[in-house]
Order: sequence, then structure tokens, then C-alpha cells
Amino acid sequence: MRESILTDDTVTDILKRCANGDKTALRRLFETEAPRMIGVAERILRRRALAEEATQDAFVQIWRKADSFDASLGNGRTWIYTIVRNRALSILRNESRTELSNTPETFERVSEDDDPETAVLKLGESSRLRQCLDKLEPLRRNAIVLAYTRGLSHGELAGKLGLPLGTIKSWIRRGMASLKECLT
Amino acid sequence: MSDLVTRDELAIDYALGLAEGAALERAERLAKTDAVFAALVADWQRRLGEFDQTAAEIVPETLDFDRIVAEIDTPAGTSARKQAVHQGSSWWAELWNSTTFWRPTAMAAGLAAVLLSGAVITNLGKPPTQPVYVAVLQTAEGRAGAVVNAYADGTVTLVPLETIGVPEGRILEVWTLQSREQGPVSIGRIDKARTLKLDLKALKNPDVGHLFEITLEPAGGSPTGKPTGPILMKGLTSTAL
Repeated sequence: MRESILTDDTVTDILKRCANGDKTALRRLFETEAPRMIGVAERILRRRALAEEATQDAFVQIWRKADSFDASLGNGRTWIYTIVRNRALSILRNESRTELSNTPETFERVSEDDDPETAVLKLGESSRLRQCLDKLEPLRRNAIVLAYTRGLSHGELAGKLGLPLGTIKSWIRRGMASLKECLT
Repeated sequence: MSDLVTRDELAIDYALGLAEGAALERAERLAKTDAVFAALVADWQRRLGEFDQTAAEIVPETLDFDRIVAEIDTPAGTSARKQAVHQGSSWWAELWNSTTFWRPTAMAAGLAAVLLSGAVITNLGKPPTQPVYVAVLQTAEGRAGAVVNAYADGTVTLVPLETIGVPEGRILEVWTLQSREQGPVSIGRIDKARTLKLDLKALKNPDVGHLFEITLEPAGGSPTGKPTGPILMKGLTSTAL
């Protein structure tokens, strides 16, 4: 039977058990978290097979790096999702680097489900992150949300939003500074 | 880079996934060595991580726990590692591992590498810069089909030595394999055999023993991001004399 949800503390505890070589703990993590982790990777990679590959790689890394997980820096759930997200980003960046295939694939693949407004709405009304994002100027907010959820690069954001690269960089940094102030 | 960023800015870029190239390397290094930076990044990851929980749950199609266990039971860096990941399409891994593909002609290739790279550079009228590494890509029949030249400044060129029949709706895709850990990486797509500059910006510079190959793929490139079509030619880099 699949558990529907693991608390943050449970995930942290599972990572400690993984560090001690307990594969049943890893299995429990896989069974409860893999579908959402594939979802995170798929939002970035747009291809299910690649998203599953990123998730496989992530679980191998989770197992091998579990002993370096530092609970003082954050909870286990954040840690495992950071791993799968970084793996997906790495696959994405390595794929799109070729000059010869500079078709704007990233933009073709945009589906309505994943537009930045929807991503913010999915956070739920009580979310502090959502409340603070809503205070940002919409284009700035969209740039931040697209970078995080869809993995768009500075260059892709500049293209998509029709702004110079330097403007995008400073917008995002200033937007994030406002966000931090609001969240703190 | 003239674009100097503060530690806070780098932490923001890194947590958002916007750090690339040298900035990404710097961020990864600082995350391990600089406690303040690591805390800044962790702070952002915790805040932004809420977005991850809004992603759809997708039931795996090919991924299952046994495959993960199979991979973690294999020591890191051994050749079996990536095959486990690509079980669905592991035929390429087998081909790439196969020594028989090129064994009969390995000696000839070593000689051809030296002769051909020199000839090609002269013909193209390039400055008399010697490539540091060359790879002769051989066809299944053992003919030298193309040469890859890697220069000291990081430039890498592919020079075809024979025409390749490309069916309608297909393209040629150029790949390199630098490490099994990373797997094959696409570095160029062309509609027909022609000389081109390859883009290895985000990769390490070529070194001895790196594999280059050309496969036939659907128009637009491999749908999986890994080679899916037949290998037309391949070869390993060696040092140019």
C-alpha cells in the first residue's frame, strides 16, 4: 500500500536510515515521493522518459549522499526535491546547448497548465509565498516563477518576456530581494 | 566575466537554477565550502520548495524501485551504471561498449588520424594550428567517414570525409561521450554531411578516449535526448602528433 503523505520529519528520518544503509527506508521514500518528483522533473524537461530518468538518477544520489544531508540547513523533503530539480536542470541545459538546434523548443512546449499564474494559484490561498509573490510586479513575478518551475534560463526568459538580458537579471534579483523582505 | 555578482545574488541565481557555466561551478564549490553561502541557498530552497509540492503526481511508466537498487548496488563509475538507467534503450550502450565494432580497423585508424587531420586543415585554408586531439569516425564497414579535430582553444570541428545518404525527414546528430556517468550528449545536428563547428561549451574539453559518433535521427533531433537511431560512424579521440 502506498502511503499518501510523509511528514517533513519522516523524510528527514528516512534519510538518516538511508545513510545507515537501510534500503527499505529508500523504498518507502520512492513509493510516496517518486510520482511528485517525476512531476517536478517533467515540468522542466517536458518529456516523461527524461523525467523518469532524472528521478532515477536523483534516487541514486539520495542514497549515495544521504550521509551528507545536513538537517540543520533544512528539512529532508526540500533536500530530495532540490536533488531531482538540479538533476532535471542539468539534463535540460546539457541538451539545449547545441547551436545547431536553437529552435525555441522551450517556448513551443509551454502548456497552459504550466503558465506562471497557474503555478502561483496552485500554491493555495494561505501560502505566504503566494501572498508575497502577488505583491510583486507581474512580469517580475512571472520571471521568477518560470525560472524555478520551468527551468527557463536568463536567456530564455529574456526572449520570452522580450527584455534585454541585463534587465532580466536585475529584475529577478530585485524581485527576489522584495520577496525575501516580505517572507522574513 | 564582467558580470560580478555578490554572494547573495549568486545564492539567488543558484537556488532558482539560473546559475550556469562558471557561476554554477562557483556556486557548487561555495555550497560545500562556505557555510554562509550554504545557509543562504538552503533558505531560498526551503522557501521556493513550496512550488515543488504543486507539481502533478505522475505514476512512473518505466521507473521502478528495483532498477534504482540495481544501480546503487553497482559501484559508481563502472560501465554498468548508465545501462541500468537506459534499460529501455540500452542497445546503444551495448554498441558503444562493443569493441568488435572497430577492432579490425583500429590500427589503420591510428595512422589515418594523423594523415587526414593534416590534409583537411590544409584544404580548408585554416591557420596552421595543429589540433591537440583528433578522432577518426569510422563507418560500420571500417571506412574513415569523418574527422573530429579538437584545438587547444577549445574549438572542435567535424569534417566529413564521405557523403552520407540522409532519408527524407531524418537528420544526422553528432554525439560525444565523455563519461559513462554523464552519458552521451548531443553536440550538433545537421541535415547532410558537411563541415561544422561543434558546440562543447558546457562540456569539458575533449581528452584522449572521448567518444564521438553520428547517428541518424528523426527531423528535429532525437526525441529522447539520447541516441535512438542507427550509429553511422564513431571513433575515439587520440593525441595528434
